[in-house]
Amino acid sequence: MIEADGLRKAFRSRRGAIQAVDGVSFQALDGQITGLLGPNGAGKTTTLRMLYTLMRPDAGRVVVDGIDAARDPAGVRVQLGVLPDARGIYKRLTARENIEYFGRLQGLEPDLIAERIERLSLALDMRDFLDRRAEGFSQGQRTKTAIARATVHDPRNVLFDEPANGLDVMTTRALRRHLLGLKEEGRCVLFSSHIMPEVAQLCDRIVVIAHGRVVANGTPDEIRALTGLANLEDAFVKVIGSEEGLYS
Amino acid sequence: MSAWWIVFRKELLDAMRDRRMLLMSFVIMPLAVPLILGGMSALGARKQAEKLESTLELPVIGAGRAPNLVAWLGSHNLRIVAPPADAEAAVRDQDREVVLRIDETFGENWRAGQPARVVLIFDSSRPIQSGATINRVRALLDAYDREVGTLRLVARGIHPSVSNPLQVASRDVARVESRFDFTQQMLPYLLLLLAFIGGMQLAIDSTAGERERHSLEPLLTTPVSREAIISGKILATAAFTLMSLLMTLLAYRIAFAAMPSDQIDLSLNVQLPALAMLFVVILPIVMLGATLLTALAAFARSYREAQSYLPLLIFLPMIPSLFLMVAPVRTQLWMLAVPFLSQNQLILRILRSETITATDWAVSLGSSLLLAGVAWFVAARLYHREELAASS
Repeated sequence: MIEADGLRKAFRSRRGAIQAVDGVSFQALDGQITGLLGPNGAGKTTTLRMLYTLMRPDAGRVVVDGIDAARDPAGVRVQLGVLPDARGIYKRLTARENIEYFGRLQGLEPDLIAERIERLSLALDMRDFLDRRAEGFSQGQRTKTAIARATVHDPRNVLFDEPANGLDVMTTRALRRHLLGLKEEGRCVLFSSHIMPEVAQLCDRIVVIAHGRVVANGTPDEIRALTGLANLEDAFVKVIGSEEGLYS
Repeated sequence: MSAWWIVFRKELLDAMRDRRMLLMSFVIMPLAVPLILGGMSALGARKQAEKLESTLELPVIGAGRAPNLVAWLGSHNLRIVAPPADAEAAVRDQDREVVLRIDETFGENWRAGQPARVVLIFDSSRPIQSGATINRVRALLDAYDREVGTLRLVARGIHPSVSNPLQVASRDVARVESRFDFTQQMLPYLLLLLAFIGGMQLAIDSTAGERERHSLEPLLTTPVSREAIISGKILATAAFTLMSLLMTLLAYRIAFAAMPSDQIDLSLNVQLPALAMLFVVILPIVMLGATLLTALAAFARSYREAQSYLPLLIFLPMIPSLFLMVAPVRTQLWMLAVPFLSQNQLILRILRSETITATDWAVSLGSSLLLAGVAWFVAARLYHREELAASS
């Protein structure tokens, strides 16, 4: 379970301070898929970065499976499988070596890593490129490799930042199946997106973020009820107040 | 398995698959050092031999005023040629290395038994190019001076030794290995440079390159500490540099063993135990270089940015070498505590086969490693900054 409580984060820039995240609170429960939905620039990535301890919040608390991120950031990272916004893989290594590297960094034994790679390559359909060097991989192959290495340590909580970005239909379907599989196994799945249909199809719970704040939080049905609109996309536009940043 | 060791192994594997980096570090650099030094040494030796043995052309002004002297010089491997119109200009313009002018009063004074004057026209600002020629002509003139003086004393019934109250004999205590030439001044600099920045490409690739390719953020989502990550990268850079350095020293050794001995200065022919000592002396510089390069490159946003300021580090190892060239001083212990200056001194001592005491070793290795440690500490602290990973 991932808990965010009153997270705030500001960045200094030449034009003064920018309040990227302005008091975000929500819970992502085990056995559920939670979608962090919001237009570009709403503060999704910054929120996630605080959740996976890359950034320290100016205020607020992050707790993952009962571990306070401020006290034990490494302990939190053990519980998380993270697909960050930046998902570069090592081009001179094969997909397998990329995944192995992260498995070792997670402290796993070689046998266990081999076993996990076998399972992940099956789940993500990576067989035909697993032992090829990553130079020249397609976007889909890169994303699959990045997802596999993020989850090689079999984390209880999975945190994906815009996982469907730039993927073709087949890869998106594989990703969707994978996320549902993780949910079936009772894990806590949290992912961000700015694409409404994707979120509507998968999520048990939607947290809508705009201008660094949570503007709606509930099941798809609750959000429809909240706005009085049957169409979730219309509801979404109404909640965030504009269509800006939605369709890029 | 420690985290730093995992990072270390991955970075080395990654580097070993980079053909451009391998070619540069394990082929071009190791070949460049023996080629530069060997080439310079062979060329220098040949030029020197040519100057000493070949017939030297000596323009003489007023050769008719001293026919005996001119004839004597001609019989000592000099060829007397007609002087240029303006002797001083010719020497200054490097048309001639040296011109001999026989004074108008030469014949008169000679017959009177007075010192007769000859003037040697040369340019002292080019000691490397024309120093040997000047010395050769001067030595011949001195020899003639002594010969005629002795004959005059004998003609007057005086024993020639009367005019030699002092007998100066030279005894050079330098060992064969310590005879010095300028190529040897270059060796410490080239070795230190290679040790210091030899890992530049790997350092940039594993830090700035990692940021540019967006693989740093995923790496930081693992539970591994940032100290371990940067340590692994620093050590990978150091190991890579050491391998490159080892190749260079071996290539150097092989190149000099293969060269015909009359073509090169044998003092550059370093034996294997000395090579091992060179390696140990340079080790702290490798660590210092790897740490500084990694720390600096970690802050560049891109490969290109890192490449634009790291070459400045080339000047660091140059400073003490230049200092020693301009102001050659006796080694004192404090110098061994100054990085680069210390290694420079010790490399020269090894090449000269001089003894290095345990204290010298301790001061040199200790101070440089300590500095590398401080640099590591700063690098590790800086690696904790938030801006590092979240650049986009």
